[in-house]
Amino acid sequence: MQTVPCMEFVGEANDNKDKSSSSGSLRLWSQWQLLDSILPTGGFAHSFGLEAAMQARLVISPEDLRTYVIHVLENTGSLLLPFVYAAAMSPDTQTWHKLDRLLNAMLTNEVGRKASIAQGSALMRVAASVFSEIPSLKMMRSEALSSGAVSFHHAPIFGLVCGLLGFEAETTQKAYMFVTMRDVISAATRLNLVGPLGAAVLQHQVAPIAEDLSTKWMNRAVEEACQTCPLLDTVQGCHSYLFSRLFCS
Amino acid sequence: MERGKLVVERVEGRSTLTRCFSKYPFKFIVPNKAGSSKADAVWIYTITYGGGVVSGDSMACDVTVGDGATAVLTTQSSTKASIGKGALLVVIPDPVTCFSTAKYSQIQNFKVVPESSLLLVDWITSGRHERGEKWAFSHYKSTNHILLQGNETLFLDTTSLEHGRHGGISERLQDYQVIAMIVLLGPKLKLIQSQIQEDVKKLMSQQLRLPSVSAGCSSESGSSYRLPKPSFLASCSTFGPKGAGVVIRVASMTTESVYNFLQDQLASLEALLGAAPYL
Repeated sequence: MQTVPCMEFVGEANDNKDKSSSSGSLRLWSQWQLLDSILPTGGFAHSFGLEAAMQARLVISPEDLRTYVIHVLENTGSLLLPFVYAAAMSPDTQTWHKLDRLLNAMLTNEVGRKASIAQGSALMRVAASVFSEIPSLKMMRSEALSSGAVSFHHAPIFGLVCGLLGFEAETTQKAYMFVTMRDVISAATRLNLVGPLGAAVLQHQVAPIAEDLSTKWMNRAVEEACQTCPLLDTVQGCHSYLFSRLFCS
Repeated sequence: MERGKLVVERVEGRSTLTRCFSKYPFKFIVPNKAGSSKADAVWIYTITYGGGVVSGDSMACDVTVGDGATAVLTTQSSTKASIGKGALLVVIPDPVTCFSTAKYSQIQNFKVVPESSLLLVDWITSGRHERGEKWAFSHYKSTNHILLQGNETLFLDTTSLEHGRHGGISERLQDYQVIAMIVLLGPKLKLIQSQIQEDVKKLMSQQLRLPSVSAGCSSESGSSYRLPKPSFLASCSTFGPKGAGVVIRVASMTTESVYNFLQDQLASLEALLGAAPYL
């Protein structure tokens, strides 16, 4: 786990502990909570196109799954990480609305777009309730709900929440890649493509690649956002044609 | 670098090319009768002296389609197009084919108003298959940007294909040799929009199969192992307010099947354009 800047404790405990180091430790607990799959953000309803890819026989074996996860991460990095970054760097209403509108025009895959909205709405709702020490979250949420002008896309909200919680931009972007990887692999276990232990092994094997891809795609401008896996996009768009499905997307 | 210029306007009730400028090595060809004279459309072909584009070449063009006019462009390039009210712009190029080690990049910007119509086909093949070139080019990047009333981004897609440390382009595209994107926007294309969505849904529903009949079964067994991947994959998505636009994404193992798909789906445009695209 990435260490947060104010975590240096040198010497014995001190009653006049630096305010920033205690908030630094609390930040760590918030980080863990945000990345824990138990946070009720509904990530488990989405397979990131994996279910459609399996029914199209693009993913059949665990080896195919590994390749698929890497492609999802590559596309997440190229298309969504710039939005996470921009929101984390300026976690304010104006930036959030602008990013949300732009991402809505860039998520041209309807299935992916709806999934992003569902996950983003859930995350905003949970974050506003849980992180009550940041009243602006609740405020921004209710303003956006009443104006109806915001779609509540996931990536900008993730960046916004992390930014307001004081996480570093690099940590935030890697965390976004982490939760994506976590959710695709979890979907794979529920689709019986891999068992729970195999999934855990796979996740650890892919971690260095996720780290590489995060480094490659982080800290870029939203104007540079692009999609790098058109096959993934095409196949995910087929999700609504599935006769029988476990997932929403 | 000077940009090519094309202006198609309604003059005395007919779509007319009122401005045409191109710079060597590109040239616009505007046949007088591209199709039936009953249809009101101006067809513009681009030719390149030498037959192709080589390193350092760049082609950029400004296109204006005035209110109520119709223009057909059979090429793609870095285009800035402005489409008026009741106007239709049709961009129906042949696919981009990048040779080994090639780098290709294009940006197409379309300014529309609520009553504009646009058909945009943007596609690429894996290269010169017969030479064994499959996704062997260095870099391909295509940006398509649709702006409403000049400032609101309605649709923005940048597809970037290049080799990465964790897999080349062919690994990302598997056995698919053609990637295509079709955008249908506006009142003149409403019927095609509904038809194409229905047809793709029907086509794909037949192709998609559950991995195995029994639950909890591993992937080693099951008939899906013997079923090949679909050779033609497509999906439709709506975009814009009230689903004003439809974007279709295609991945296919053959170029021919994409030509056939485009022929079939766009056949009804013959009435509007005087000739059907991709015949």
